[in-house]
Amino acid sequence: MLYVELFLQGLIQGSIYALVAVGLTLVYGLLRILHIAHAGLFTLGGYIGVLVTDATGSLALALLVAAVTVGLLGMALYRVCYEPILNKPPFVALIASIGLFIAMEEIYRIVFGPYGLSYQAPPLQDSVVLWGMHLTQAELAVMGGGVVVIAVLALLAEKTRAGTAWKATVTDPQMAQSFGIDTVRVRYLNFFIGSALAACAGVMVALMNNLVEPTMGSVPSYKALAIIVLGGLGDVRGTLIAALALGVIEAFGTIYLGDLMDRDAIAFAFLIVVLMIRPQGLLGRKA
Amino acid sequence: MLRLDGLSCGYGAFRAVHELSFEVPEGSVFALVGANGAGKSSTIMAVAGHVAVQGGAVLLDGQDITNLPPTKRVGAGIALAPEGRRLFTDLSVERNLVVGGYHLPAERTAENKARVLELFPRLGERIDQPAGALSGGEQQMLAIGRALMAEPRLLMIDEVSLGLMPKAVDLCYAAIDRLRDRGITILLVEQNTTRALEAADRVCVLESGRAVWQGDAAEARRDPALVEAYLGLSEGKQETTP
Repeated sequence: MLYVELFLQGLIQGSIYALVAVGLTLVYGLLRILHIAHAGLFTLGGYIGVLVTDATGSLALALLVAAVTVGLLGMALYRVCYEPILNKPPFVALIASIGLFIAMEEIYRIVFGPYGLSYQAPPLQDSVVLWGMHLTQAELAVMGGGVVVIAVLALLAEKTRAGTAWKATVTDPQMAQSFGIDTVRVRYLNFFIGSALAACAGVMVALMNNLVEPTMGSVPSYKALAIIVLGGLGDVRGTLIAALALGVIEAFGTIYLGDLMDRDAIAFAFLIVVLMIRPQGLLGRKA
Repeated sequence: MLRLDGLSCGYGAFRAVHELSFEVPEGSVFALVGANGAGKSSTIMAVAGHVAVQGGAVLLDGQDITNLPPTKRVGAGIALAPEGRRLFTDLSVERNLVVGGYHLPAERTAENKARVLELFPRLGERIDQPAGALSGGEQQMLAIGRALMAEPRLLMIDEVSLGLMPKAVDLCYAAIDRLRDRGITILLVEQNTTRALEAADRVCVLESGRAVWQGDAAEARRDPALVEAYLGLSEGKQETTP
């Protein structure tokens, strides 16, 4: 019974990781930028979620507003911060991104206050029994929703013309242009989708913890970096699997290795072990 | 159909091609030949819009397309099978073809795909495999097929035979003959001069970024001295003993 419970808890945490990490891997795949500030957008999603839910009473509306607002902000970040430095060495964008992330945390502190916000009446708190486990509806929604959304995204990338254009742009932007693909539009779409997913993750994490605070993005930001490396940089399906695997490993690890290492140390020990065995990531082909 | 008017192009301060002028007549096969680094690929990539033009003009059907963005050139009728093939290696053969026809309405895909597979039946056998898993010859066929999906009037093929088995080279040149018969104008780059002279109607010889000879391929085929003077001893020919 304990195993099932740990496994489910791992999947819930893994789904959150996946929603955050997918945006990061999309950006890396396309622009070779490690978009640290992505986690700042995740936090903003949490704030918008709490504010809109409290104002209107609708979590669905909150998810929609958070996704659209943060998606558009993600596009703006690309336009203002990244586009002008794309032909500089990659560390320039990395430094810009770290600076941006710190600035975002401080802005949230000033605007929303240092103590964080909570839902006045958090929705989806009723208990659901699954294989004898008691889960909240919110946890169930995260687990199901996260996996479904990302699986649909991977399927769209596989089967539609737009998805194919996106993949072609990732492989060879110049050739994609030669066949009439507007690669700038692909980048904007990329930032919109990735940022919107992070915002939804932020709303749901704020709901599960019933708290959103300025530094909520710190742990997901470096955890997501580990995940996209494990998943094979730029690979959506690999990221989903790596995120779920990491969630489950952490859940078991905190029980069985908790005396030796804390949760984050377990995550990175897992990363190190996997990369020693498979330097190309869990699913990646050898370069 | 395609005309270069004193085209100079290159990378940054480096000039790869100097004041190159030639005209590719509608429905013909035009070959750019010359040694490695002579500026053949730079010329083709400038026509595709990927190499910076430093002077002169590129005209398509009399229209100046020198400053047309690369994404718009496929709509003007130009498609490219580039050097090194540059396929979308993670995508299947089928998806590569879909990208080729991206600028056209989706309804055109099925018909164009059928035409490409009729030209290169081998691609049909491997339709669901990733492009990266194909052999060199199959990759070249896919690069040409992908370009054909765009319904080009001008097809540019860079290094048709480079790194291919002789049989695959034959298949590619057979396809080029058929495409010419369909009325597609073809500009090709080739290091194998013998092959280029056989396939082409007109030839331009480049050396260090300058045109040193251009004329009818038939004339060059008839006059070995000309070939020797401008092209050196071409591959595939026996050395002549004095």
